[in-house]
Amino acid sequence: MVNAHTGNLAPASAERACADESPLAQIEFRKVTKMYGGVVALRDFSLTVRKGEFLTILGPSGSGKTTALMILAGFEAPSSGDVLIAQNSVAAVPSFRRDQGIVFQSYALFPHMTVRQNLEFPLEMRGMKASDRLAKVDRMLERVHLKDFGLRMPSQLSGGQQQRVALARALIADSPILLLDEPLGALDRNLREQMQSEIKQLHREFGKTTICVTHDQEEALTLSDRIVVMRAGRIEQVDTPEALYDRPTSRFVANFLGEANILSQVGFEGGAPAGKIAMIRPERIAISSLASRPVDAENRQSVTGHVEEMTYAGPLRKYHVRVRDEVLVVREHVAAGQPVFQPGDQIQLSWLRSDIRLLAE
Amino acid sequence: MDILRNVSRNPLGLTVPALTILIAVFGIPTIFFFFASLNAPEYSLSNYEAFLSRGANVRILFQTIEISVIATLLCLAIGYPTAYLITAAPKRARVALTVLVFLPWLTSGLVRTYAWIVLLGDNGLINRTLIDLGLISSPLPLIYNRLAVYIGMVHIMLPVMILPLLSVMQGIDKSLVAAARSMGARPFTAFWRVFLPLSLPGVRSGTVLVFVICLGFYITPQALGGLRDVMLSTFIANQIETSFSIGVIAAAAFMLLAIAAIVLSVLGLDMSGERVRPDRFHEEHWARRVFRSSIVTRGMKAVADKFRAARWTRQLYQRTGAGNSSALAGSVFLALVMTFLLLPGMLDVVMSFSGGAYLEFPPSTLSLQWYRSFLGDPSWTGALWTSVQVGLIVAALSTIVGTLAAYGLSRTTPRIRSSFTMCLMAPITFPAIVVGVAIYFGMAKIGLVGTVSGIVLTQSVGATAYAVVIVSATLATFDRRLERAALSMQASPIQTLVRVTMPLIRPGIIGGALFAFIHSFDEVVQTSLVSGFAIRTLPLKMWENMRNELDPTIAAIGSLLTLLPILWLVALYVTWWRVRPKVQAMAQ
Ligand SMILES: Nc1ncnc2c1ncn2[C@@H]1O[C@H](COP(=O)(O)OP(=O)(O)OP(=O)(O)O)[C@@H](O)[C@H]1O
Ligand SMILES: [Mg+2]
Repeated sequence: MVNAHTGNLAPASAERACADESPLAQIEFRKVTKMYGGVVALRDFSLTVRKGEFLTILGPSGSGKTTALMILAGFEAPSSGDVLIAQNSVAAVPSFRRDQGIVFQSYALFPHMTVRQNLEFPLEMRGMKASDRLAKVDRMLERVHLKDFGLRMPSQLSGGQQQRVALARALIADSPILLLDEPLGALDRNLREQMQSEIKQLHREFGKTTICVTHDQEEALTLSDRIVVMRAGRIEQVDTPEALYDRPTSRFVANFLGEANILSQVGFEGGAPAGKIAMIRPERIAISSLASRPVDAENRQSVTGHVEEMTYAGPLRKYHVRVRDEVLVVREHVAAGQPVFQPGDQIQLSWLRSDIRLLAE
Repeated sequence: MDILRNVSRNPLGLTVPALTILIAVFGIPTIFFFFASLNAPEYSLSNYEAFLSRGANVRILFQTIEISVIATLLCLAIGYPTAYLITAAPKRARVALTVLVFLPWLTSGLVRTYAWIVLLGDNGLINRTLIDLGLISSPLPLIYNRLAVYIGMVHIMLPVMILPLLSVMQGIDKSLVAAARSMGARPFTAFWRVFLPLSLPGVRSGTVLVFVICLGFYITPQALGGLRDVMLSTFIANQIETSFSIGVIAAAAFMLLAIAAIVLSVLGLDMSGERVRPDRFHEEHWARRVFRSSIVTRGMKAVADKFRAARWTRQLYQRTGAGNSSALAGSVFLALVMTFLLLPGMLDVVMSFSGGAYLEFPPSTLSLQWYRSFLGDPSWTGALWTSVQVGLIVAALSTIVGTLAAYGLSRTTPRIRSSFTMCLMAPITFPAIVVGVAIYFGMAKIGLVGTVSGIVLTQSVGATAYAVVIVSATLATFDRRLERAALSMQASPIQTLVRVTMPLIRPGIIGGALFAFIHSFDEVVQTSLVSGFAIRTLPLKMWENMRNELDPTIAAIGSLLTLLPILWLVALYVTWWRVRPKVQAMAQ
């Protein structure tokens, strides 16, 4: 399964390796710190974003995501540190000369302008001729499936349509950088998934360097080339979605992305090194009856316990298994011929030793 | 219980007391008065002809409009940037500045006019300082001219302009301007294309309100203007004192009212105090569309496009110098406006402690002599006592009927609510002198001129309007679900009202009562007509004194009346802001 995963991703990694070699680190934060009075919103924030990359900033509320974005957009000045775009410091460059397309959390569509005028605005600011603007707006409206909505006011659009207008407005001026602040925050689940694939497609098509802020982990996993996990103004870990999920470096990241079983007493054979804890993902644990013997038992560690709870979640079955004083979560794909265990059943859990991850406390 | 059930079925019933007072005191007399202007029962325009046939009258009419227009434009020119700067200020400063703007509004207009007399007079502070410094030998003509009228009027009306502007501007989503900038709009363009259009509803409300109130100005032009700076209200008041030809007075009043009504109906007045909501913009404004598609505009835009295109490429990623100069200019401007708003009152407070024979600044010796002469003179203390009594009765009456009306209106459709509110607000949106004359006419008919009841009824009409506005504003933020929640927990409608609704809207009711009291305590124009010189409230007595001599005793009273609003504010703070966290906590 693991192999299948990485196999799938090989081409993408190769591409990324190429991007690495190009000299264009499009955006660079150098030890940026931002204080609001006594509050540290961002501390020693250093990050390089490559050209054409889709990077997501993920973190709990108040962790400094918006602050980082606003500093890059030029709406806030860093208290210390520097921001570079295409290798030049932009500290003294005002926001209106930075050439970035931004989708604000609340969309920020101009309520007194029609959809068309909203889209024209950035072109007008760049002095594009009226006839060219017309053509360009037409093309863009078509691209986001809003051809017949040009003369509507934003208030006459649904949430998803407004969102597409905001996206179109950010894209229309061909700015090399696209910033999205929780672009899908206000949408319902279905619409959100639809818009995610839409954004992904637009990114593939336009190839803009994109930074997207979110606290929706699924969104981050779906869209991004790389994810920055933030915690209290600091970067906790930066990595590809797979690496972040598969090899988190800290307990915070492991818990923040997906579910994590911390094996404190159940026994990491030989004991975890000092200051580290052992973690295993629920889907890496196999559940079986006491009688059965796992295959390649020599690579596996197994423990016994009893089922406390079992829930169906569509194609998945989720067990809560008590092993000594701990409860482990086990997730299993439903397949034909699999035994189903009921609460109270004594069972055996096993996992590959190589699936255990050591994390910083 | 039955009453309550009826009320929930027909909430408009609650507006009956307020409307009854309004119609009886103001509505019916206005209609009779209108017929009188038409010379009923013969019906002719002879009164209007008589008025308009005299060149002097026409001049006064035009002068009234001219003064009102200029004063309004001055208020807008000063008020808009002030409101903008306050909106842009950090949160703490914003609150403080809003309070400072609000403060003079609570001070009696009479006192503020008096303060300007003290400042601008030939013997006033400015002239005396300049003479003492040897810069001039004889006093500059600072007072009794048009300039002084504008200074006084703008000083009084500026808060009325700023507050609606502030309320609209604070509702404008800040990210809209940020969005414009991120798309390449320079600060001025972002302001012009985004902020300004969105703030226009506030400009409209403020302008209309200020203009209409200015039309009815009486005290300020009278006290600060020269003999030639007469406004129509002065004319009307003089007519009443001298000739009392009701037809001509009515004709003059209705011409003033017509101007006000035209402005109000063309521009409209949105007193709901609601924030700018995006869904207000259902389509592009026709004026904008016409403007945008005109040939001139398009030609200019084409030129602008070329210019912008060149600039865009040239300036992309260019640095700018630190823009501290504009921030500094903004602070200086705000400081000047605040000085203008607050200094006269503060000087008055300080000078009222002068020990000399006249008011000086800074006082060479300190004494309480003027306070003593105020409190030692039975005619002053009598007037004060009358004012307090009348004020309390008016406040009680109008708070009760106003709260009932506001509560009833909060349960109706927005359309009914806004038209009823407009009616109830007429006494404070129509020119004060017109309202006063109409009421006077009615009171004279039923023999209430010169009685306390007459004065109470007169003032209640305006005070109720304030109570309705303020209680309505509180009710607008009141979450009806809380009532439903209480009802679902088996509370009876009465228990719900007493235990849930009342405690939550109490701050609004107290605020309404305060404003009703202040209105009563300050009112001069209408009260002076209805009092028939038989009853003296404190403002009437002050006004009388101001017209005859410049008695420094008024400075002492003025100082008391300036300090009073600070007490009001403390009272408001205690009741209003302290309950807020509670309400918010409950809402979450
Ligand atoms: N203008 C400001 N003044 C004072 N403190 C601020 C300001 N803006 C942000 N902060 C503080 O900085 C910290 C980071 O805020 P930020 O808006 O970047 O969080 P966030 O990660 O975007 O959170 P969310 O997911 O809730 O949007 C918070 O503690 C916040 O309270
Ligand atoms: Mg945020």
